[in-house]
Amino acid sequence: MVGETVAGYSNVLFMFGFAVLALAPALLISRMISPRTKSNPVKFLPMECGQVPSGAGRTHFMMQYYAYILMFVIFDVMAIFLYAWGSTLLDLPKTATLPIIAFLGIMFAAMAFALYQTKRKNIW
Amino acid sequence: MSVIAPKFRLGYLIKAITDNIFWIIVLLTLIGLPAVMIVLIYIDFPVIDGEIWNPFRVFDAMTHPERSLPLVKNFMQTDFFKIAVFPGLGFAALIGGGVIFVERKLLAKLQLRVGPFYCGKVEGILQLVADGLKLISKEIIIPAKADKPIFWAAPVLFAATAAAFVALIPVAPGWVVADIDLGLLAVFAVIGFFPIITVLSAWSANSKYPFIGGIRALFQMVSFEIPLILSLLGIVMLTGTLDLVEIIESQVNFPWIIFMPIGAIVFFICILAELERIPFDLPEAESEIVAGWLTEFSGMMYGLVQLGTYIKLYAFAALFVVMFLGGWNGPWVFPIEPIAEVITDGIVIMPGALTVELSGLPLFSQEMINGTIWFVLKTVAVIFFILLPRGVFPRVRIDLLLKIGWYKLIVLAFVNIFIALALVYSGVIGPGGIM
Repeated sequence: MVGETVAGYSNVLFMFGFAVLALAPALLISRMISPRTKSNPVKFLPMECGQVPSGAGRTHFMMQYYAYILMFVIFDVMAIFLYAWGSTLLDLPKTATLPIIAFLGIMFAAMAFALYQTKRKNIW
Repeated sequence: MSVIAPKFRLGYLIKAITDNIFWIIVLLTLIGLPAVMIVLIYIDFPVIDGEIWNPFRVFDAMTHPERSLPLVKNFMQTDFFKIAVFPGLGFAALIGGGVIFVERKLLAKLQLRVGPFYCGKVEGILQLVADGLKLISKEIIIPAKADKPIFWAAPVLFAATAAAFVALIPVAPGWVVADIDLGLLAVFAVIGFFPIITVLSAWSANSKYPFIGGIRALFQMVSFEIPLILSLLGIVMLTGTLDLVEIIESQVNFPWIIFMPIGAIVFFICILAELERIPFDLPEAESEIVAGWLTEFSGMMYGLVQLGTYIKLYAFAALFVVMFLGGWNGPWVFPIEPIAEVITDGIVIMPGALTVELSGLPLFSQEMINGTIWFVLKTVAVIFFILLPRGVFPRVRIDLLLKIGWYKLIVLAFVNIFIALALVYSGVIGPGGIM
C-alpha cells in the first residue's frame, strides 16, 4: 500500500528527471556548435536598453504589494485545509458543515478587514 | 561584411557532413567489422530443433512482424514509454510545438498580417524547425556577475517542472504517467514551483529588468493561486475524491461545467494569469520592461523556457479539460469492434533454449484511441480560447490585477463552493441524486 503510493509519486520524479536529461543536452549542444566571438566591452553587460548600466543589479526594490504575500501565506493554507473537508463531504454528517461555515466566516472577516485596511491606508 | 559573424555557406555544411559519413564508413569496415568477426569465431551458437541459430537467424526472427510486434507492445506498456513518449514529454512537446505555430498564424490572421510565410513553401509550416535551428546555433551570453549555476539551471528546471506537471494528467483510460490518489494536491504542489524558479532566475541574472519581471511574476502567481485552488474545491466536494482519474470517470454522463460555470470561469481566468498570457502578461510586458524575467536569456536557454511555457500551457488546458469538460469521455467515434489482427494472444519467442513468453497486449485499444481523440479535441479547443485574448485584449494594470485576484475571483470561488454545497444538500448530486 505504502509502496504503491510511493511508486505513483516516483513517476512524477522520473518524469522530472527524464525532462532534465532530455533537455539539458540542448544547452550543451548549443554551447558546442554555436560560434564564440571575442569579448568586447559591452557584450556581457546587463541589458539596459543600450545605456551603460548604473548601480547594482540586485538592489533593494520597493515591494509595494508585500502585504499581499503575507495574506497569501495565511489564505493559501486555509484553501488547502478546505480540501481536507471538501474531499470527505459526502461521508460526513450534515452537522459537520456548520463548524466549517463558522471557520469560513472567521477567515472571510479577516480577509475583508485586511482588504479594507489596504484601501484605508492606501499603502499598496 | 561584418567580421563578427563568420560567413555561412551551404557548401561547407554539406562538405562537413559528407566528410563525417566517409570516415564513419571507413572506420566501420576497417575496424568494426573485423572485430565482430573475431568475436563471432569464439562463440558457440545454440542448436535448436537441429538448426544452428546464427546471428542472421536471430536478426531475422527479431525483425519478423509476428515476433517483433509483441516486443513493441511490451515496450509500450513500460513506464519509460509513458514518460518519454505518449502521455508524457513527447506528446506534450508535440502539442506545445504545434501551439507555437498555430498561435503565430492565428495572431497574424487576427491582426490582418500574414505571419510566418516563407519557411517550407506552404504557409511557413517549417517555421518551428527553422526557429529551433536558429536558437540552437546562437551563442549563449550570460551577463557579467550573474549567478551562473542558477542561471544555467533555471531554463532546464522550468521545462522539467512543466513536464512533471504533464505527468499527472490522465490522457486516456489507463494512460497516465503517475496515477496518484491525491493527484490534484500533487498538481498544486507542482504549480507552486513555478514562481520559485521564476524568481530564482530573475535574481540570478543580476539585471534590473529581469528582477522587476520576476517580482511581478511572484505577485501575480501568488494572487491567483488561491482562487485557482478554491475554484476546484467544488468539484472535489461533489466527487469526494482527489484522484484525477476518478474525477474524469465521474463525468461519464455530464461534464461538471454544466453545474459549476462560475468555477470554470474563475479557473480559466486563473489559468491565464498563471500562464502569464495577455491580458495578464505583466511579468513579460514587452512594452514596459523589455521581456520581463526572460530579458537576459539568449539562444537555446530562451528556447527551453519557451518550450516549458508551452508545455505548461498544454498541461493547464488539459487540467481544465480533466476537471470541467469530462476528460476523455465522449461519444464513440472510433469503431468499437476489435480489429482482429491488432489484438493478438501473445507468442513465445525462440522456443527451446531461450524461451521468452510475451503476453498478448493490445498495441492500442479502442478505448484509448477514442479517449485520446476526445481529449485532444477538447484540449485544443481550450488552448484556442487561451490564445484568443492575446489578439483581442490590452494588458491590465498591476494594481487592478491584484484587485481582480483578491476581491473578485476569491469571492466568486466561494460562490462556487456554496453552489456545490447547495447541490449536495438539496439532493441533486450525491447519494440519492443523479450521480
